[in-house]
Amino acid sequence: MSLMTETPPRKRPFWTMARRDAAAGYLFIAPQLIGIIAFVLIPLCLVFYYSLHEWNVLANTFNFVGAANYQMLLADRALPQVLLSSAIFSVGLVVLNMSLALLLAVLLDQKLKGITVFRTLFFSPVVVSLVAWTIVWSFLLQNNGGINGMLAMIGVEGPNWLRNPTTAMISVIVVQVFKNVGLNMILFLAALQGVPKELYEAARVDGAGHFKQFRRITLPMISPTILLTSIITIVGSLQVFAQIAVLTQGGPGMTTTVLVYYLYQQAFQFHFFGYGSTLSILLFVIVAVLTFVQWQMRKRIVFYEN
Amino acid sequence: MRRTILGSTFAALAITTGLTAPTFAQDAINLRMTIWSANEAHLAMFNEIAEGFKASNPDVSIAFEPIPFENYTTTLTTQIAGGNPPDLAWILESNAADFVNSGALAPLTEAFTATEGYDMADVSEQATALWQKDGQLYAYPFSTSPFAIFVNNDVIKAAGAKTPAELIAEDAWTWDNAFATAATVGQSGKTGLVVRDFKYQVWQNMASIWNAWGATPWSADGKTCTFADQPMVDAMTAIHKAIFVDGAMPGPGEDIDFFTGETGMTITQISRASLLPKEDPFDWDLVPLPSGPVGTYAVVGQAGVGAFAASPNVETAVAFLGYMTNPENSQKLAQFFPPARASLLNAQTLGATNPLLSAEQIENVVIDGISYGMVLPGHTNFAQIQQTVRSSLDALWVADADVPAVLQSVCDSVGPLLAR
Amino acid sequence: MKTDLSPRLRVALYGLLCVLLIPFVFPTWWMLTSSVKPISDIFAFPPDLWPRRFDFSTYAKVFELQPFARQYWNSAYIAAIVTLGTMVVSSMAGYAFARIKFPFSNTMFMIVLLGLLIPSEVTIVPLFQMFLGWGMINTHWPLILVPVFGAPSVFATFVMRQFFIALPGELEEAARVDGLGRFKIFWLIALPLAKPALGAVAIFTFLHSWNLYLEPIVFLSSTQMFTLPQALTQFTDAYGGAMWNIQLAAATMTAIPVLVVFIIAQKQFVEGLAHTGLKG
Repeated sequence: MSLMTETPPRKRPFWTMARRDAAAGYLFIAPQLIGIIAFVLIPLCLVFYYSLHEWNVLANTFNFVGAANYQMLLADRALPQVLLSSAIFSVGLVVLNMSLALLLAVLLDQKLKGITVFRTLFFSPVVVSLVAWTIVWSFLLQNNGGINGMLAMIGVEGPNWLRNPTTAMISVIVVQVFKNVGLNMILFLAALQGVPKELYEAARVDGAGHFKQFRRITLPMISPTILLTSIITIVGSLQVFAQIAVLTQGGPGMTTTVLVYYLYQQAFQFHFFGYGSTLSILLFVIVAVLTFVQWQMRKRIVFYEN
Repeated sequence: MRRTILGSTFAALAITTGLTAPTFAQDAINLRMTIWSANEAHLAMFNEIAEGFKASNPDVSIAFEPIPFENYTTTLTTQIAGGNPPDLAWILESNAADFVNSGALAPLTEAFTATEGYDMADVSEQATALWQKDGQLYAYPFSTSPFAIFVNNDVIKAAGAKTPAELIAEDAWTWDNAFATAATVGQSGKTGLVVRDFKYQVWQNMASIWNAWGATPWSADGKTCTFADQPMVDAMTAIHKAIFVDGAMPGPGEDIDFFTGETGMTITQISRASLLPKEDPFDWDLVPLPSGPVGTYAVVGQAGVGAFAASPNVETAVAFLGYMTNPENSQKLAQFFPPARASLLNAQTLGATNPLLSAEQIENVVIDGISYGMVLPGHTNFAQIQQTVRSSLDALWVADADVPAVLQSVCDSVGPLLAR
Repeated sequence: MKTDLSPRLRVALYGLLCVLLIPFVFPTWWMLTSSVKPISDIFAFPPDLWPRRFDFSTYAKVFELQPFARQYWNSAYIAAIVTLGTMVVSSMAGYAFARIKFPFSNTMFMIVLLGLLIPSEVTIVPLFQMFLGWGMINTHWPLILVPVFGAPSVFATFVMRQFFIALPGELEEAARVDGLGRFKIFWLIALPLAKPALGAVAIFTFLHSWNLYLEPIVFLSSTQMFTLPQALTQFTDAYGGAMWNIQLAAATMTAIPVLVVFIIAQKQFVEGLAHTGLKG
């Protein structure tokens, strides 16, 4: 880098300002770009290559089968249920995560003694070991577990959380949200603090109440953060499977078998690497399309854009 | 000056960080064995055996590579897929058929019979059944651990039920009476009987009960589903009643640990004796599985160890395996892993290594169990079959389930997979 | 929004926060208390809020059973290198994407963004093959190279780009007039202003590296090389059963320092993010 820029400007007209800038630009992005090509693009191409093969790792068979895996994808009777579960999981997760994160951020943005302690405690699950986290929750969610115990105290008979199709899905979503909502909360908290105070002053002069201020000023001003966190959260939601593996193993039935868990099963548990790779490509396409759509929608959602 | 400081800093960094791979001498043979135990006592024992092998093969060294149990198969698969399989690996019994039939493992029988003093005939035929194909051994079952029932007599007596020991004395240790005892305990507010690790997901562990009815998940050749056959229907009906009518077993979503002392009985492998509380222990007992419609029976869980055919040092790996499982070393292994060798199945050997168990318990539970125990169900492509059955079987674990209909639906979904 | 609250509202807010805290704090509390329980008490039902019996020997056992200090060092130095490396790579890339005009910059930005979209399970097998070919299996290189240059650093680049976009252009113009090159402008002018954004990037990157689980398990094979999340799974008894109390003691020791750093740094962290604005 320094070599490049410290070279004295030559008198030859070739190194115009624009050209020098372009060269600097390429040099600046080179590490990141090469890294992405080496560690993302090439592996992705290899995955696509695998998806054209029948690859049983144990039997050591690796045969070119063309589009057969993709035909299998279309004929896979389990796949519609898996996609539906993924959609429910992701939508539920994103909605709950974002609203809870926003609520917490607003509460923690107040001037209060000891607010730092609260922020830290709400953030703490992010750094707690995933293993410990899931053990505790599988305890609490048992039929005779802590949550139903508390419900019984107020005279409510709680459901068998992890064994009932509806509540099993709710449970895995909620457990995941509590674990990671701290990250989004911090992003929102930062966004809230970035809103210029004068705007609120002006609104108060105009007689706007708290709720109106929130809707008219806060939400539009933090809309870029909302967009960013929603992209991260949606993409992240499509990649969650450790908790599902521990809490429900995808059950009851197939109700909590989301796409990445299904993919993991096919490739690593059933040893069908070819088909697993095909599912990877499907997952990639879905994520790419979703992100593209969100990115395109940003002009309509986001209040200001550079 | 500055340069030397910098240089030595880098040298120190290279040593204290993990940025350089360990290097070995050129012509030395380095074997790698993946295992799922990280226990230091295990590792010490394996290293001791490896040292013994090294005494006669000075250029061979063996590294034992612990992989977390939950990720064992994933990691092993990734290593194989990535073109870097270990030379030797522990294999879970549920994956046995996959590994044995795939051709990934090297045949062992010839090498073992050629090993001096190996005495292949000493190894129980029953124990190696799962690990053979066409009469050829592909992995050695280094652990053959019987299922048995741990009993908490304090809890059972408090509930006013008959203890298993009393029932055995009366020659009435049957599943009917076992369920009755468990139901009485269940009605007293404690838990009756827990099938450990079952959790309404690992259904193959129920074989420790349904074998009493002579039930099997599929035919002996593995091609036909037998979930809907009469023995399984009878067994599952009894189990369903025990759970949902009598409250003898905790229902789905109620995971209870026997060793905390609030449970009457639990079915698990004898090795779990290590979990018995050491401070203020309860009055515990270890009894064999009760008898059922087909009489007495036993069930064992296994773990095997095999050598990968693709390893460049496959001959050395097989030779080490022969050394590791010879009579002398099998005795060492027996302190942690119940052996498959008839000569070691005596109260003396096993008593020395299982100090918690009485001679009677060792005789009745361990030796009998290993001698005629059936292994848990296994099948080629077991992981997929396991998931498919698990998913269909979920419908059984509700109070008003139609047992025969659910079992038929299990066969409907898993049948095509078995027939493949 | 940030007015002084009336005492009554204040009490209500404290109450609300305390109730909301329960699901966040209880599992952590359980982890802490269970780490000093004898193993037979851990799965007592209902769970004890306070240990019936204390057994502090678990913390010593963590170090006896595993080279835990070594593993701690592994995690710490890997996270430190990854954090520093990511700050360099992402601030440079972010700066270029935000402030320098060059052909195809948008296309390249889109390519880089691809990294955000791919779960690590998808590419783990090809990556394993690549690192095997380079002789880097059972070294820490994959745990450093992939996060610094690959997918995990893309989020950091994105944050840096958003920060630099919002930076006023006048400073740079003045520097150019003074004859400074791009690199000097970046190093002497833009980067010092980017401290808050770099702080945010540092914390996110550190956490990501510290908690990485799948990759160490796949790439590392000897206990001396293990990182903390991987080491946590290694505390088992002679029969492969988990020694939960010891495992949880190790988990506690893994979490506490990060929480302490968070408490100290959270003000700068939040303010840092606030200044970036994180504009879409």
